[in-house]
Amino acid sequence: MVRGLRPDGATTASQHTLAPPRRVLAGARIGVLDNNKPNAGLLMTTVAETLAARAHGPSPLVLGKNAALPATDEVMAQLRQQVDLVLTGSAD
Amino acid sequence: MAEGAVDAATVRPAPPDLLEVADESPETLFAMMEEHGWGDGLPIVFPSEERVERMLAGYPGPVDEVLAVLPPRSGAATVRTVAVNAVMAGCPPAVFPVIVAAVRALGVPQLNLQSVQATTHAVAIMVAVHGEIVESAGYNAGHGTFGPGWRANATTGRAIRLILLHVAGGYPGDGDASTQGQPAKYGFCFAENAAASPWPTYPRSLGIDAPSAVTIAGTEGPHNSHDMWSTSPTPILEKMATVMATLGSNNAPMPGAEFFCILCPEHAAQAAQAGWSRRDVQLYLYDRARLPWGLWREHFDWRYRGSPWASEVTDPATLMPIMDSPDLIKVMVAGGPGKHSCVIPSFGSMALSVTVPVETW
Repeated sequence: MVRGLRPDGATTASQHTLAPPRRVLAGARIGVLDNNKPNAGLLMTTVAETLAARAHGPSPLVLGKNAALPATDEVMAQLRQQVDLVLTGSAD
Repeated sequence: MAEGAVDAATVRPAPPDLLEVADESPETLFAMMEEHGWGDGLPIVFPSEERVERMLAGYPGPVDEVLAVLPPRSGAATVRTVAVNAVMAGCPPAVFPVIVAAVRALGVPQLNLQSVQATTHAVAIMVAVHGEIVESAGYNAGHGTFGPGWRANATTGRAIRLILLHVAGGYPGDGDASTQGQPAKYGFCFAENAAASPWPTYPRSLGIDAPSAVTIAGTEGPHNSHDMWSTSPTPILEKMATVMATLGSNNAPMPGAEFFCILCPEHAAQAAQAGWSRRDVQLYLYDRARLPWGLWREHFDWRYRGSPWASEVTDPATLMPIMDSPDLIKVMVAGGPGKHSCVIPSFGSMALSVTVPVETW
């Protein structure tokens, strides 16, 4: 046998658990985090408005971010404070 | 957000460091790489403990030092792990100082490696080597500097890619979402030809006064700019400007993005003979690499034009510079005899190049 060393090494990744799913949408405050990819905002806002209408909730809160950068702390704070669930993650 | 979300920050332990293989035949090593999902598809040198020790020989610091934490895997790029990848890539130890410096540069926030790795764009990591180590480590700054045939160039670029795969976790389709990829993702390393340049070295132009340095950037591959007829700089650079002023690169909708304009020695000499400095080249390209504002608006949501004055433009024929500042045009000299220079567009304004000194030992 020949012995050598692995090329990957340790990771410092943080592990996150998902928030528990919301079982009932009635009255939910829905947010959109638009990454400004073409049509992402249109798609997610349309879905959010449809859900809000069905759930008899308030109009969705739509906020933006740069597609290549994390959302700002201010945007994240607004979402935490003002909505119950967020639609995000649509790409090109 | 629903209440009850739990963020448990943990550090995952390193897997067992040691590999064992029956032999070092290509077949055995291909099987080992496939089993782990490693590699770039090309043969590797087995990273035996002896070879890794030779790569690390003389390194003046602790080999378990973390040079950078590399996304998206959040991999800890220790000096030792970087050496393992350098061995696998076939690097001679003489280039290891460049690779160490380059990995430190990968961790600088302005490079935005998370996005460089994860985007659908074809961005690769460009490595430009400057200064004394070009000669001492055997880099080719002349004929075919971007191409094959020189171990230092080929293996330095490949080692960086292996690190981006293994440590950083940028595997195609899983960590690297690039739609098509590009050949430069196998390895993209060249050297500044300081001996043939009429201007101070590129790092010196940035105020970095070190014997050797390395520049890292997220870029496309080189786009040729050919002019074998002209005897003055303006038509040579005019052609280069047309290569820059295209609609399909990420630079077009992002005016804060960099261009690397790599002049061949003969084009650079023609500019210098006319009395042009590096700054003159930057200013001329800034002045000429433009497209009509109306054309832009046909193609892009004008809000992408972040310039504060952009919204004031009303005449569609107004020629807009394709970048916000001549400082975004990075001019170097590389290559050998001939009349071919190149333009290297970048990933965009959210990922800027990094130049750092190379410390040798």
